[in-house]
Amino acid sequence: MSSAPAPVELERPDLGEAADTDRPWLTLVWNDPINTMDYVTYVFQRVFGYAKPKAEKLMLDVHRKGRAVVANGGREEMERHVEVLHSYGLWATVKRDD
Amino acid sequence: MTDGADESNTSWFQVGARPGGVRVRLGSDAAGLLRALMEQLLDLVGDAPDDASGLAAFGIAESAERPDDPALARLFPDGYRDDDAAADEFRRFTELGLRDAKRETARAVLDVLDTADDELTAELDEAGAVGWMRAVNDVRLVIGTRLDIDEDGDNRPDLDPADPRAALYAFYDWLTAFQSALVYALE
Repeated sequence: MSSAPAPVELERPDLGEAADTDRPWLTLVWNDPINTMDYVTYVFQRVFGYAKPKAEKLMLDVHRKGRAVVANGGREEMERHVEVLHSYGLWATVKRDD
Repeated sequence: MTDGADESNTSWFQVGARPGGVRVRLGSDAAGLLRALMEQLLDLVGDAPDDASGLAAFGIAESAERPDDPALARLFPDGYRDDDAAADEFRRFTELGLRDAKRETARAVLDVLDTADDELTAELDEAGAVGWMRAVNDVRLVIGTRLDIDEDGDNRPDLDPADPRAALYAFYDWLTAFQSALVYALE
Protein backbone atom coordinates (compact mmCIF):
# COMPACT_ATOMS: atom_id res chain seq x y z
CA MET A 1 0.00 0.00 0.00
CA SER A 2 1.13 3.50 -0.55
CA SER A 3 1.75 5.53 2.53
CA ALA A 4 -1.01 7.82 3.65
CA PRO A 5 -1.48 9.56 6.99
CA ALA A 6 -0.55 7.16 9.78
CA PRO A 7 -3.46 5.66 11.68
CA VAL A 8 -3.58 6.57 15.34
CA GLU A 9 -5.42 4.18 17.60
CA LEU A 10 -4.91 0.45 17.70
CA GLU A 11 -6.69 -2.29 19.57
CA ARG A 12 -5.67 -5.79 20.41
CA PRO A 13 -6.52 -8.12 17.54
CA ASP A 14 -9.52 -10.36 17.96
CA LEU A 15 -7.91 -13.79 17.88
CA GLY A 16 -11.04 -15.69 18.85
CA GLU A 17 -12.37 -16.07 15.32
CA ALA A 18 -9.10 -17.17 13.75
CA ALA A 19 -8.73 -19.97 16.28
CA ASP A 20 -12.12 -21.46 15.46
CA THR A 21 -11.50 -24.80 13.76
CA ASP A 22 -15.09 -25.03 12.53
CA ARG A 23 -14.35 -22.20 10.15
CA PRO A 24 -11.82 -23.83 7.83
CA TRP A 25 -11.65 -21.34 4.94
CA LEU A 26 -9.93 -17.97 4.97
CA THR A 27 -10.21 -14.70 3.12
CA LEU A 28 -6.73 -13.27 2.62
CA VAL A 29 -5.87 -9.75 1.50
CA TRP A 30 -2.44 -9.17 -0.03
CA ASN A 31 -0.36 -6.03 0.05
CA ASP A 32 -0.23 -4.07 -3.15
CA PRO A 33 1.49 -0.79 -3.99
CA ILE A 34 -1.56 1.03 -5.36
CA ASN A 35 -4.39 0.80 -2.83
CA THR A 36 -3.91 3.40 -0.13
CA MET A 37 -3.95 2.68 3.58
CA ASP A 38 -6.99 4.87 4.25
CA TYR A 39 -8.94 3.27 1.42
CA VAL A 40 -8.17 -0.29 2.56
CA THR A 41 -9.16 0.61 6.12
CA TYR A 42 -12.43 2.06 4.87
CA VAL A 43 -13.19 -1.03 2.75
CA PHE A 44 -12.63 -3.38 5.71
CA GLN A 45 -15.07 -1.32 7.77
CA ARG A 46 -17.68 -1.19 5.05
CA VAL A 47 -17.47 -4.79 3.77
CA PHE A 48 -17.10 -6.57 7.11
CA GLY A 49 -18.66 -4.04 9.47
CA TYR A 50 -15.44 -3.96 11.50
CA ALA A 51 -14.87 -1.07 13.87
CA LYS A 52 -12.16 1.30 12.69
CA PRO A 53 -9.47 0.08 15.15
CA LYS A 54 -9.88 -3.51 13.94
CA ALA A 55 -9.94 -2.42 10.31
CA GLU A 56 -6.74 -0.41 10.85
CA LYS A 57 -5.05 -3.33 12.59
CA LEU A 58 -5.84 -5.61 9.65
CA MET A 59 -4.75 -2.96 7.15
CA LEU A 60 -1.42 -2.59 8.97
CA ASP A 61 -0.97 -6.38 8.98
CA VAL A 62 -1.46 -6.38 5.22
CA HIS A 63 0.94 -3.47 4.83
CA ARG A 64 3.71 -4.80 7.11
CA LYS A 65 3.43 -8.58 6.74
CA GLY A 66 2.39 -8.66 3.11
CA ARG A 67 -0.99 -10.24 3.78
CA ALA A 68 -3.63 -10.73 6.45
CA VAL A 69 -6.55 -13.02 7.16
CA VAL A 70 -9.54 -10.69 7.18
CA ALA A 71 -12.32 -13.28 7.60
CA ASN A 72 -12.83 -17.00 8.07
CA GLY A 73 -15.77 -19.33 7.66
CA GLY A 74 -17.35 -21.53 5.02
CA ARG A 75 -15.90 -21.67 1.54
CA GLU A 76 -18.86 -20.09 -0.26
CA GLU A 77 -18.98 -17.25 2.23
CA MET A 78 -15.25 -16.60 1.74
CA GLU A 79 -15.69 -16.65 -2.04
CA ARG A 80 -18.43 -14.05 -1.72
CA HIS A 81 -16.12 -11.88 0.41
CA VAL A 82 -13.35 -12.18 -2.15
CA GLU A 83 -15.72 -11.24 -4.97
CA VAL A 84 -16.84 -8.15 -3.04
CA LEU A 85 -13.23 -7.21 -2.22
CA HIS A 86 -12.35 -7.55 -5.92
CA SER A 87 -15.20 -5.16 -6.71
CA TYR A 88 -13.40 -2.65 -4.47
CA GLY A 89 -10.09 -3.38 -6.19
CA LEU A 90 -8.41 -5.15 -3.28
CA TRP A 91 -6.16 -8.09 -4.02
CA ALA A 92 -7.97 -10.87 -2.13
CA THR A 93 -7.88 -14.67 -2.31
CA VAL A 94 -9.59 -17.66 -0.73
CA LYS A 95 -7.49 -20.27 1.04
CA ARG A 96 -8.19 -23.37 3.07
CA ASP A 97 -6.98 -22.93 6.64
CA ASP A 98 -4.03 -25.25 7.27
CA MET B 1 -13.44 19.54 4.26
CA THR B 2 -11.68 21.12 1.35
CA ASP B 3 -9.01 19.73 -0.89
CA GLY B 4 -7.12 21.19 -3.79
CA ALA B 5 -9.54 24.08 -3.84
CA ASP B 6 -7.42 26.71 -5.53
CA GLU B 7 -10.11 27.86 -7.91
CA SER B 8 -7.67 29.68 -10.15
CA ASN B 9 -6.54 26.18 -11.11
CA THR B 10 -9.30 24.49 -13.10
CA SER B 11 -8.26 21.03 -11.88
CA TRP B 12 -9.41 21.97 -8.34
CA PHE B 13 -11.82 19.79 -6.43
CA GLN B 14 -13.73 19.98 -3.17
CA VAL B 15 -15.25 17.07 -1.30
CA GLY B 16 -17.30 17.70 1.83
CA ALA B 17 -19.39 15.55 4.11
CA ARG B 18 -23.11 16.27 4.21
CA PRO B 19 -25.92 14.39 5.98
CA GLY B 20 -26.26 11.00 4.29
CA GLY B 21 -23.48 11.45 1.80
CA VAL B 22 -20.98 13.84 0.29
CA ARG B 23 -20.93 16.95 -1.84
CA VAL B 24 -18.42 16.94 -4.68
CA ARG B 25 -17.32 20.02 -6.59
CA LEU B 26 -14.98 19.76 -9.55
CA GLY B 27 -13.32 22.44 -11.63
CA SER B 28 -13.86 22.22 -15.37
CA ASP B 29 -10.54 20.51 -16.11
CA ALA B 30 -11.01 18.05 -13.26
CA ALA B 31 -14.49 17.15 -14.52
CA GLY B 32 -13.13 16.70 -18.04
CA LEU B 33 -10.23 14.59 -16.81
CA LEU B 34 -12.52 12.35 -14.78
CA ARG B 35 -14.85 11.95 -17.74
CA ALA B 36 -12.01 10.97 -20.09
CA LEU B 37 -10.58 8.50 -17.59
CA MET B 38 -13.96 6.85 -16.93
CA GLU B 39 -14.54 6.48 -20.66
CA GLN B 40 -11.14 4.84 -21.03
CA LEU B 41 -11.93 2.53 -18.14
CA LEU B 42 -15.16 1.48 -19.87
CA ASP B 43 -13.24 0.81 -23.07
CA LEU B 44 -10.74 -1.33 -21.20
CA VAL B 45 -13.35 -3.33 -19.27
CA GLY B 46 -15.21 -3.95 -22.53
CA ASP B 47 -18.83 -4.66 -23.35
CA ALA B 48 -21.01 -7.32 -21.83
CA PRO B 49 -21.29 -10.49 -23.94
CA ASP B 50 -23.83 -10.08 -26.77
CA ASP B 51 -25.23 -13.48 -26.18
CA ALA B 52 -26.65 -13.32 -22.68
CA SER B 53 -28.34 -16.68 -23.03
CA GLY B 54 -27.51 -19.83 -21.15
CA LEU B 55 -25.10 -19.54 -18.29
CA ALA B 56 -24.09 -15.97 -19.16
CA ALA B 57 -27.64 -14.86 -18.29
CA PHE B 58 -26.75 -15.89 -14.75
CA GLY B 59 -23.36 -14.19 -14.81
CA ILE B 60 -21.51 -17.46 -15.34
CA ALA B 61 -19.04 -17.84 -18.21
CA GLU B 62 -18.57 -21.00 -20.24
CA SER B 63 -14.89 -20.63 -19.58
CA ALA B 64 -12.62 -17.92 -18.20
CA GLU B 65 -8.94 -17.24 -18.35
CA ARG B 66 -6.80 -14.73 -16.55
CA PRO B 67 -6.57 -11.63 -18.81
CA ASP B 68 -3.23 -11.19 -20.59
CA ASP B 69 -3.31 -7.43 -20.09
CA PRO B 70 -1.71 -6.78 -16.67
CA ALA B 71 -4.12 -3.91 -15.95
CA LEU B 72 -7.15 -6.14 -16.61
CA ALA B 73 -5.54 -8.90 -14.58
CA ARG B 74 -5.23 -6.39 -11.73
CA LEU B 75 -8.91 -5.37 -12.03
CA PHE B 76 -9.94 -9.04 -12.15
CA PRO B 77 -7.37 -10.91 -10.08
CA ASP B 78 -7.29 -14.62 -9.33
CA GLY B 79 -9.49 -15.64 -6.41
CA TYR B 80 -7.12 -18.47 -5.44
CA ARG B 81 -3.39 -18.12 -5.36
CA ASP B 82 -2.01 -21.68 -5.38
CA ASP B 83 -4.85 -23.58 -7.01
CA ASP B 84 -5.25 -22.89 -10.74
CA ALA B 85 -8.36 -25.03 -11.13
CA ALA B 86 -10.12 -23.29 -8.25
CA ALA B 87 -8.96 -19.89 -9.58
CA ASP B 88 -10.42 -20.69 -13.03
CA GLU B 89 -13.69 -21.84 -11.54
CA PHE B 90 -13.92 -18.75 -9.32
CA ARG B 91 -13.29 -16.54 -12.34
CA ARG B 92 -15.92 -18.40 -14.37
CA PHE B 93 -18.52 -17.64 -11.71
CA THR B 94 -17.51 -14.08 -10.81
CA GLU B 95 -15.77 -12.21 -13.62
CA LEU B 96 -18.83 -11.38 -15.74
CA GLY B 97 -20.57 -9.95 -12.69
CA LEU B 98 -17.49 -7.99 -11.65
CA ARG B 99 -17.17 -6.54 -15.13
CA ASP B 100 -20.83 -5.50 -14.97
CA ALA B 101 -20.27 -3.90 -11.57
CA LYS B 102 -17.21 -1.97 -12.76
CA ARG B 103 -19.06 -0.74 -15.85
CA GLU B 104 -21.99 0.37 -13.71
CA THR B 105 -19.88 2.36 -11.27
CA ALA B 106 -17.96 4.07 -14.10
CA ARG B 107 -21.22 4.87 -15.94
CA ALA B 108 -22.76 6.24 -12.76
CA VAL B 109 -19.85 8.70 -12.46
CA LEU B 110 -20.33 9.70 -16.11
CA ASP B 111 -24.08 10.21 -15.53
CA VAL B 112 -23.34 12.69 -12.75
CA LEU B 113 -20.66 14.42 -14.83
CA ASP B 114 -23.22 14.75 -17.64
CA THR B 115 -25.36 16.99 -15.43
CA ALA B 116 -22.89 19.85 -15.88
CA ASP B 117 -21.12 21.33 -18.89
CA ASP B 118 -18.28 22.99 -17.07
CA GLU B 119 -17.75 23.02 -13.31
CA LEU B 120 -19.67 20.37 -11.42
CA THR B 121 -21.44 20.46 -8.09
CA ALA B 122 -23.02 17.13 -7.16
CA GLU B 123 -24.70 15.78 -4.06
CA LEU B 124 -24.01 12.07 -3.74
CA ASP B 125 -25.70 9.76 -1.28
CA GLU B 126 -23.47 7.33 0.57
CA ALA B 127 -23.85 4.50 -1.95
CA GLY B 128 -23.20 6.94 -4.79
CA ALA B 129 -20.07 8.25 -3.11
CA VAL B 130 -18.80 4.71 -2.51
CA GLY B 131 -19.38 4.03 -6.20
CA TRP B 132 -17.26 7.06 -7.11
CA MET B 133 -14.57 5.86 -4.74
CA ARG B 134 -14.55 2.42 -6.37
CA ALA B 135 -14.55 3.76 -9.94
CA VAL B 136 -11.74 6.19 -9.12
CA ASN B 137 -9.81 3.32 -7.57
CA ASP B 138 -10.32 1.17 -10.66
CA VAL B 139 -8.70 3.90 -12.76
CA ARG B 140 -5.87 4.18 -10.21
CA LEU B 141 -5.32 0.41 -10.47
CA VAL B 142 -5.08 0.63 -14.25
CA ILE B 143 -2.74 3.64 -14.34
CA GLY B 144 -0.69 2.36 -11.40
CA THR B 145 -0.22 -0.99 -13.14
CA ARG B 146 0.74 0.69 -16.42
CA LEU B 147 3.29 2.86 -14.59
CA ASP B 148 4.54 -0.04 -12.47
CA ILE B 149 4.01 2.10 -9.36
CA ASP B 150 5.90 0.83 -6.35
CA GLU B 151 5.08 1.17 -2.69
CA ASP B 152 7.21 4.16 -1.83
CA GLY B 153 7.21 5.91 -5.16
CA ASP B 154 10.95 5.28 -5.36
CA ASN B 155 10.90 4.08 -8.94
CA ARG B 156 9.44 7.24 -10.41
CA PRO B 157 11.61 8.18 -13.34
CA ASP B 158 12.74 11.76 -13.80
CA LEU B 159 10.58 12.47 -16.80
CA ASP B 160 10.61 15.17 -19.39
CA PRO B 161 7.28 17.03 -19.09
CA ALA B 162 6.58 16.08 -22.71
CA ASP B 163 6.81 12.38 -21.88
CA PRO B 164 3.27 10.91 -21.92
CA ARG B 165 4.06 9.13 -18.66
CA ALA B 166 4.46 12.49 -16.93
CA ALA B 167 0.76 13.16 -17.56
CA LEU B 168 -0.16 9.70 -16.29
CA TYR B 169 1.72 10.31 -13.05
CA ALA B 170 -0.11 13.62 -12.66
CA PHE B 171 -3.49 11.93 -13.26
CA TYR B 172 -2.60 9.19 -10.80
CA ASP B 173 -1.67 11.68 -8.09
CA TRP B 174 -4.82 13.70 -8.71
CA LEU B 175 -6.98 10.57 -8.45
CA THR B 176 -5.21 9.52 -5.25
CA ALA B 177 -5.87 12.92 -3.64
CA PHE B 178 -9.48 12.94 -4.84
CA GLN B 179 -10.14 9.41 -3.62
CA SER B 180 -8.56 10.20 -0.27
CA ALA B 181 -10.92 13.17 0.09
CA LEU B 182 -13.91 10.90 -0.67
CA VAL B 183 -12.77 8.39 1.95
CA TYR B 184 -12.29 11.15 4.52
CA ALA B 185 -15.72 12.64 3.80
CA LEU B 186 -17.41 9.23 4.05
CA GLU B 187 -15.81 8.51 7.40
